[in-house]
Amino acid sequence: MRLEKCWFCSSTVYPGHGIQFVRNDAKIFRFCRSKCHKNFKMKRNPRKVKWTKAYRRLHGKDMTQDATFEFERKRNRPERYDRNLAENTLKAIKKIDKIRSDRASDHIKNRLKTGKVQRQKEARKQLEQGIHLVKAPLALAQDSSLHLPKIKVNVSQAQTEENQAMEE
Amino acid sequence: MQTFPLPPKPLFRLPSDGKPARASSLLFSSLINCFRLIMATRLQFENSCEVGVFSKLTNAYCLVAIGGSENFYSAFESELADVIPVVKTSISGTRIIGRLCAGNKNGLLVPHNTTDQELQHLRNSLPDQVVVQRIEEKLSALGNCIACNDHVALTHADLDKETEEIIADVLGVEVFRQTIAGNILVGSYCAFSNRGGLVHPHTSIQELDELSTLLQVPLVAGTINRGSEVIAAGMTVNDWTAFCGSDTTATELSVIESVFKLREAQPTAIVNEMRSSLIDSYV
Repeated sequence: MRLEKCWFCSSTVYPGHGIQFVRNDAKIFRFCRSKCHKNFKMKRNPRKVKWTKAYRRLHGKDMTQDATFEFERKRNRPERYDRNLAENTLKAIKKIDKIRSDRASDHIKNRLKTGKVQRQKEARKQLEQGIHLVKAPLALAQDSSLHLPKIKVNVSQAQTEENQAMEE
Repeated sequence: MQTFPLPPKPLFRLPSDGKPARASSLLFSSLINCFRLIMATRLQFENSCEVGVFSKLTNAYCLVAIGGSENFYSAFESELADVIPVVKTSISGTRIIGRLCAGNKNGLLVPHNTTDQELQHLRNSLPDQVVVQRIEEKLSALGNCIACNDHVALTHADLDKETEEIIADVLGVEVFRQTIAGNILVGSYCAFSNRGGLVHPHTSIQELDELSTLLQVPLVAGTINRGSEVIAAGMTVNDWTAFCGSDTTATELSVIESVFKLREAQPTAIVNEMRSSLIDSYV
């Protein structure tokens, strides 16, 4: 039993799932579900299909180069069974898995960090330009602070009626 | 050539399914009682005479398929158990291991669809000098594509360059791309060891000479299993034993024993007489 990777989306194919296609040149294509299989039959290139790992890696959305990927390579020259080695390997697998997923999420976090500054700039601009949608210019003139205070909405009939009128 | 200590065995067994039958006749009986002759053994795998399909024999190990009865395995074990490890295995879940893998005393090459568990089992059972390697190759029946002994290998013409390098590296051999009697599946149409070789019966004399100079062993064109041309499927051989299908005729068997030099040198005079009476011509 071996956990293979789907050719299209690169997710793991567990036993009892998916379809394996063998082409005439003896190349084997494994698919995790019919979605990937059908996309393959439509001759779609996984590098252009947004939700696949191939696309995400190619466009820098996900981590590409890392030392932890070396551990999961397919090995063609086995070593003699050693109980200690097997035990240490099992412990290492857990650790390496955790490290890899931490690094992957850090990569995504760092990628999204640069967007934060941009988003704040946009938010500030929107605040300056569009504040009249939220607070009446008259009220704003009285309160010169640009930042929107945290409005605690008291659920009283008068307040809600006012808001409704403004929305219209 | 070292002599191997062989335990005393019953010499006459009636040939039946899976059990080995001595190639001896009444003429040899006295010889056998006096000398310990290493001869070719005839056997069957579950009623099939294609012994070379279900086993792989080298100088350092022997691989045997997992069959319904233990007769096949015990035939190999009785001959080889104290000399080399006899390993029961499957390759990618199949029993046709002789045709899927290729090896010599230095290494063993298995196809890409060998499971990890089988690979680990082979690695654990074989001695450490034997390098077990899985190959990513389009032509996955390596036993049909590669014929080798400990020094030279003949390969299929369409084998990848990388595979050729891996063969040279793992098996420690010189690799030649050749055809035998027009067949590109060299691994199935010839069987050779370090001492001799048997090839497809329709091989021309020029080709025989050419191959002989390449491989540096004497070659003979002959058949196995009552005229079957697929030599390597019908028999498996190493430097001191050979196993053939039970359909192999006495003539074929004596050809095998002479070309692979399986008879011990001592009773030469008598054996030479026998040889001349049994074999009328080499093809």
